[in-house]
Order: sequence, then C-alpha cells, then structure tokens
Amino acid sequence: MAEILTSKHLLIKVSIGLAVLAVIMCLCALVGTQKISLEKALAGPGDKAGENIDYEIFVGVRLPRVILAALVGAALACSGVVLQAILRNPLADPYILGISSGAGLGVIIAILSGVSFSFWGGSPIAAFAFTGATITVWLVWYIGHFTGKSQVTGLLLAGVVINAFFSAVIMFLTSIARSQELRSTVLWLMGNITEKDFSELRVSAVCILGGIIGLFTISHKLNILTFGEEEAKALGVDTGQSKVVAFGLAAFITAVAVGLSGLIGFVGLIIPHGVRLVFGPDHRQLLPLSAIIGSIFLIIADTIARVIVAPAQLPVGVITAITGGPFFLILLARYSRKISWLK
Amino acid sequence: MSGIIEVENLSFGYMRRGLILKELSFEVMAGTFLAIAGPNGAGKTTLLNLLCGLLSPNAGLIKIDSADIDSYSIKELAQKVAVVRQEFVPVFDFTVTETVSMARTPYLGIFGFESKSDRQIVNEAMEATDTAQFTSRTLGSLSSGERQRVFIARALAQDTPIVLLDEPTSFLDLKHQVGIYDLLKRAQLEKGKTIVAVTHDINLAAQYADVALLLGGDCSYHTGIPQAIFLPEQIERVFGVKTFAGNVGEEKFFLPLGKLAKDVGIITTNTNRDKKQ
Repeated sequence: MAEILTSKHLLIKVSIGLAVLAVIMCLCALVGTQKISLEKALAGPGDKAGENIDYEIFVGVRLPRVILAALVGAALACSGVVLQAILRNPLADPYILGISSGAGLGVIIAILSGVSFSFWGGSPIAAFAFTGATITVWLVWYIGHFTGKSQVTGLLLAGVVINAFFSAVIMFLTSIARSQELRSTVLWLMGNITEKDFSELRVSAVCILGGIIGLFTISHKLNILTFGEEEAKALGVDTGQSKVVAFGLAAFITAVAVGLSGLIGFVGLIIPHGVRLVFGPDHRQLLPLSAIIGSIFLIIADTIARVIVAPAQLPVGVITAITGGPFFLILLARYSRKISWLK
Repeated sequence: MSGIIEVENLSFGYMRRGLILKELSFEVMAGTFLAIAGPNGAGKTTLLNLLCGLLSPNAGLIKIDSADIDSYSIKELAQKVAVVRQEFVPVFDFTVTETVSMARTPYLGIFGFESKSDRQIVNEAMEATDTAQFTSRTLGSLSSGERQRVFIARALAQDTPIVLLDEPTSFLDLKHQVGIYDLLKRAQLEKGKTIVAVTHDINLAAQYADVALLLGGDCSYHTGIPQAIFLPEQIERVFGVKTFAGNVGEEKFFLPLGKLAKDVGIITTNTNRDKKQ
C-alpha cells in the first residue's frame, strides 16, 4: 500500500547522512599538502604547545575549514531548495536570483571601503552581506510583484536582471580597486573558502543551522506551494506568511554563507536536483538531505581545490562552476518544456 | 434547517469590469449535488473561488456550515471545503501517494508528519477513487483522467463536508467524464458529501445533480431542480444556441443544434435517406 514519509524513516536517513558527513569531514581534513596521520591528529595537543604538529594542523587549520565548507554547502543547498519551491521553478537558486550578488556587492563595498568595526564575531563583512542580500530580496520581490499577475515569472526575471546589474557594479568596483585589494577581492568573488577561527564559525553555525531548522518547520507547506497559491490556500496554507518566512530565511542563510566564503555558484542548483532525483520531491526530506549532501559536496570540492594545484590553491567556486555549468544546461533542456506553462 | 452553504445577496466584480455576480442568493443543503452551469464569463469559476474563500465578495454574505466564511481561518476553512481545480501537471514529480497525502495538511502539527489515522484516510480515499494502483507513479506519468481521479482522491482525503470542483471533466473523453461523475455521485451518496461542480456539460449535470444553478452571464440566474432549470428555451436564452430536448427513460438530454449543421441538413440526413429507401 501507499508509502508516506514518516518521521522515523526521515530520522534514519538523516542519521545515516550525518554519519557519512562526519566520516567525509575527517577524511578531507587529513588530505592536504602537509601529510598528517589520523592517529596522531586525534592524540591530543601534547604537553607543550606545538609539540604535536599533526594535531595543530588537524584541529587548528583543516577542521575549521572543513566545517566552514560544510556550513556554506548546507546553506546554499537549502536556499536553492526553498527558492525552487516558492518560485515553482527548478532553475532558481540564490546565485541565479541575484541574492548572492546582492550579498557579494555588500561584501565588496566592505572590503574596498576598508570598514573595520566589530560585528558578528569580529567581521563587518557578514553584516554587509546580509544588508546586500536583504535589499536584493526586497528589490526582486518588489519588481516581481510590480510586473503583474504572473509573479512566478516576474520574480525570476527580476532576479536575473538584478543579478546582471549587481554583477556589473561589482566588476566596476573591482576594476577601480587598488592593486593590493584586487587579489583578495577577485579570489573572494570566485568563491573562496579560507581558514577561519572557531569563534567566527560558531556564530555562523548558529545562524545557518537555526535558519535551516526554521525552514524545516514549513517544509510540508513548501510541497503544496509547488502546486501554486490557489491549491495551497485550498489546503489550508497561509501562502503569504509561508512565502515571507521562506524568502526571509533563505536570504538570511545565503547572506551568512556569502559573507563567509564569497560567491559560490551552482551548489543551490545541483544539490537539490540530485537529491530530488534520488529521494523524490518531498521537501520534508529534500531539505535536510540537501543540507547534508550540500555539505559533503562542498567539502569534497574544497579539498580538490586545495590539492589539485598544490602548493597553490584554487578558489572553490571554480570547481563548483565547472561541475555546475554543464549540469545547468542539462536541466534547462529537461525542464524547458515543463516550465513553459508558467509563461 | 439551514443549508451547509448559504449565499445571500452576493455581488462581485473585478476592477474596471463591472459586476459579474449581482445579488445572488441560493442555498445548498448538506449531502446534495449542485451543478453550476452557464456561458463562458458568466462567473462560474469566480463563484467557486468565492465559495472557497479565495475571493471576497463586494457585497453580500457567504455562510459555510452556518458561520460567515470570513470567520474561518485558512486552516479551518480547509477542514470544511475541498477544491478540485481544472487538471494540470505540477512542476515537480510528486507521486500519487504524496499528492493525496497533502490533503491532510490542515490537520498536521508543526513538523507536518501524517499520523497513522491520516495514512488510513489517505489509503481509503485512494481505494475509493481506484487510484491505489498508481501509488508510486508520478503525476506526470498519468493520463488526464487518471490525474483528475487523483485530485478527487485528494479532495476526499481532505475529509471535508463540502467538495467544490471546477470543470472536473473538461479535458476528458466520454468514458472518463462519466467515470468522474459516477465517482462524485458515489462520494455524495456513500459519504454524505456536498458536491458543487462547475460544468459546461448540461447533460451530465441534468443526469447527476440534485440542484442546478444556471448563471445567465448578464447577472441573472435561475436555481432549482435540473428538470425545471434546464429547459430548451432557457438554454437558448442563456447560451444563444437552439437545442433539441428529448428523454431517455426518465432522463432528459439536450442536443445542441448548430446553425451550420441545420443549414446543410446534417441532422436530417438519415431521415432523407430513409425516405429515399
């Protein structure tokens, strides 16, 4: 008889996913230019500071970076899941809708203007990213509604236009930047995961995990929203409230992710599709599993970016874009007929 | 005894288009089948959207189960009224079971998981609509008729006393049209549902409905038993088409007589041939 997702089944899948994530995190933290052994890395710091180099590298350098990649991957994947659901468009993601660019523009302004006030674990960048993302969401929302009845297409087009505009402003600001700022800005634009300290990660982790849990509470409503507003209302969903919560939290976690690691494209597109293909479109499992698999994907992509041209490092955005570009084209071909009814 | 749906002096018009419905009043008793018919643009779907709370009237009152429709929250109203719209294929590939189980949303807790009794209700609705055979198929892989049955299963699983349907058979062949109406009639008779169906097919409406509401397109309307509402002169006035009315047993049927068909004698061809022979 009919198979309906139960909380028990979901818990089992999420637990398995988290176990795999933990293993991947440990393995990827061991990989790098400096070879370290797991046994020594787990042996503890030793009596004197700096006595156990493997431990210092593992806990002090690699693990925070792996955790950072996991957080950013989870945030971008979940944001993609939510945006695709409320826009009823399988091609939506925070990057394509301009939310990442908005956050990015905020960060570029922070870097180039050299602001240095203390906020959110010491970095003003996250505050600028969040402001940029919020303004973008507001603009996309406003222009989308302004274009009339077909808000789904309107919102997507507004996102594309704003993305193009903000990208142009970012390019302009980059080209007038001083040379010493240029390299870090360009690297950041390409999506760059670097070592952060635990205090900064702690605040970001709370924000991202809190946002994902918030989105999970409306995940069953997202299922119905993909059928359209009229259907959702008929099934008892307060569509206005659900969309504001969904858009707001998606923008929030995207902004935190962009503030941490720059513009990393396609994670929000590839991961939800992959997970949907294997596990189906039920958002109650699509959201948590996309978070886990998004984390795993970005950890592996970052590990490749760290070692492929060692001792130099590639920005992780290069790896995700190389994987994501062709994937986007395949999706476009697959869904172009299906979304034609939105016109 | 008052009806489960009461509409009193209802008026509604879209901005800059004047009134579509004017001082409309009718009542639907619990457990009856109401068919709403009328020409395109007469306000049939608009009326359906008013009855499910998607639109608000400019004037007048709609009562569902003796209470003003505005007094219900969105969730409460979804426990009273289920809606089946004209069929469509959703963007994402939900399975039949996933789609039908969405009907339980108005009854779910914060994390939105169905209880054992919710799953039982979903299974029963699928059995009743003969969709249990499709459980793990996606909506996109079904035919129009099968998909419409799934949406009716969802409306039944919503466990509401009232089910509204907007042209439920518009894309279906004859066999599937009759199949859908049989299904609705069974839900009415066996489960005591109040069915309100917008339809273009006055023959099916006359056959299955207990009450009919004929919207005239000029804000006029007629309501009563189908035999009293669907009359050739009434249909000609409302739709602007002559009809031939006949009886098969106790059932009345209408055959629309197109001008072209009449002029070239298609209707009478058999008769002429019979005469020659």
